[in-house]
Amino acid sequence: MSAVVTVTDLTKRYRTVTALDRVSFSLTENRIYGLLGRNGAGKTTLMQLLTAQNFATSGEISVFGQHPYENERVLSRISFIKESQTYPSGLRVMHVLRAAGLVYPGWDEEYAQRLADVFQLPRERHVTKLSRGMLSALGIVVGLASRAPLTFFDEPYLGLDAVSRQLFYDHLLADYTEHPRTIVLSTHLIDEVSDLIEYVLLIDRGRLLLDVDAEALRGQVVTVSGPVAGVDEFVRTGTELHRVLLGGTARATVRGDFGAAARDRARSLGLDLEASSLQDIVVRLTTSTNGHAAGAGSATANKEATR
Amino acid sequence: MNRALTVARLQFVAWRVVLGWPWGILALSFLINLALFTAMGENDDFEPTTGGLLSIYIVMFIASISAITQDFPFAIGLGLSRRSFYLGNVLQFAAQAVVYAAVLYLLAIVEEATDGWGVNLRFFGLPFLLVENPVLRFLGFAIPFLLLGFIGIAIALVFKRWRVNGLLTLGTVALGGIGGLAVLATWRGWWSAIGGWFVDQPNWALLVGWPALVTVVLAAVSYLVIRRATP
Repeated sequence: MSAVVTVTDLTKRYRTVTALDRVSFSLTENRIYGLLGRNGAGKTTLMQLLTAQNFATSGEISVFGQHPYENERVLSRISFIKESQTYPSGLRVMHVLRAAGLVYPGWDEEYAQRLADVFQLPRERHVTKLSRGMLSALGIVVGLASRAPLTFFDEPYLGLDAVSRQLFYDHLLADYTEHPRTIVLSTHLIDEVSDLIEYVLLIDRGRLLLDVDAEALRGQVVTVSGPVAGVDEFVRTGTELHRVLLGGTARATVRGDFGAAARDRARSLGLDLEASSLQDIVVRLTTSTNGHAAGAGSATANKEATR
Repeated sequence: MNRALTVARLQFVAWRVVLGWPWGILALSFLINLALFTAMGENDDFEPTTGGLLSIYIVMFIASISAITQDFPFAIGLGLSRRSFYLGNVLQFAAQAVVYAAVLYLLAIVEEATDGWGVNLRFFGLPFLLVENPVLRFLGFAIPFLLLGFIGIAIALVFKRWRVNGLLTLGTVALGGIGGLAVLATWRGWWSAIGGWFVDQPNWALLVGWPALVTVVLAAVSYLVIRRATP
């Protein structure tokens, strides 16, 4: 259980926007992290800073115990696959694979060729002539076959059809099981990866909202529905994130420490209780003002604000 | 250093493209000239001299720009450091310059031996590049590659680091600086002195010395710029 990445008070300001605002967290070896958040939340910026592609305004970064900037020892152990990656004109798919093979110490050529077959990548085609989906597939092949101890996938599925996305998830999990490493998966398709990710990092407007075990998070946020009075009574034990009223019944998303006792209490109040999906949790937390309060460590509920 | 060598190799993964453009265009230019002057069939006194050799230098200039605008983001995306990329890029470019210059030198010798490919054509052995010393003659072919290459690298890096505003600023400063000096020289009547200075310079200094000095300065500045450039 050693930390691969440690980040302290990381801040990145552009001229008019603060892309990251005093973010602190650490990543533990051999886990799959889901880096979640809305467009422009700061996910890509964070990964660019961790890979020394961009420069922080302030704060500390440690990757494999050292700062990654111009650090060959650190950089050679990282693979960063981003949706916006550009390739030199004139390169064909096979050239990109050969280039990746030259650069990554852990490159598995046989696995890369197998993956390229799986995603039906035409080796002879110029990279500039690939469709959006094929370009994404090429990134995925490079990212998986690099077998880098720290691998970032920044929205790697753009333009990929459902079948290819499922193939990506399946191969990611299979290869991760065989060759454990730290993987950070930045994605909008939260429901699709919710079974895959073990840990959740949620960023909103440059701030880290959640840094939590995915399984624990699922237990922390529940949705209760039933008579308004009963729901009102139940949510007093937690933080209400969201509520929908339908006549005399209410449906509320609540965050708190819910064990078996909470289940019994819901039943006795005549309420239905279900665990929220990861996507629900993320949506509710990023749209709720209580989410920010909870993220900042405050437990005080402000129900009016969410209505 | 190992990673710099990796970068140098990286830029040759599509080696057919890397070699094809400069030599393809040069060959085309040469064949057109050869055909043209053969067709003209002038008498023996006529010694046509062409600027077709320039084409390979222009292609390499463009290649040096695209090394920064295209290869740099790719290399950084693969997790190479800026230092490694720069060293590797310089290494492969210099290697190309040396080998290409040697080939051009050889072709110039062949040209002389065959009386200008049978039609008195001067395509490779340009008069202003003609010096007795073989080392200087070789450098006369090689240094322009490096000078143009590093001008391309420097300009492309200004764009990479400071985007369009940087290029516009550079253009404005260059225009203002050169224009200002021209005005100053005219006002103070320095032109004849400047002309005299150029005439006084030995052949080797104009052909090799000064271009090499400018190249080294550009290379050093470029290294400082790329260290803080983002892909």
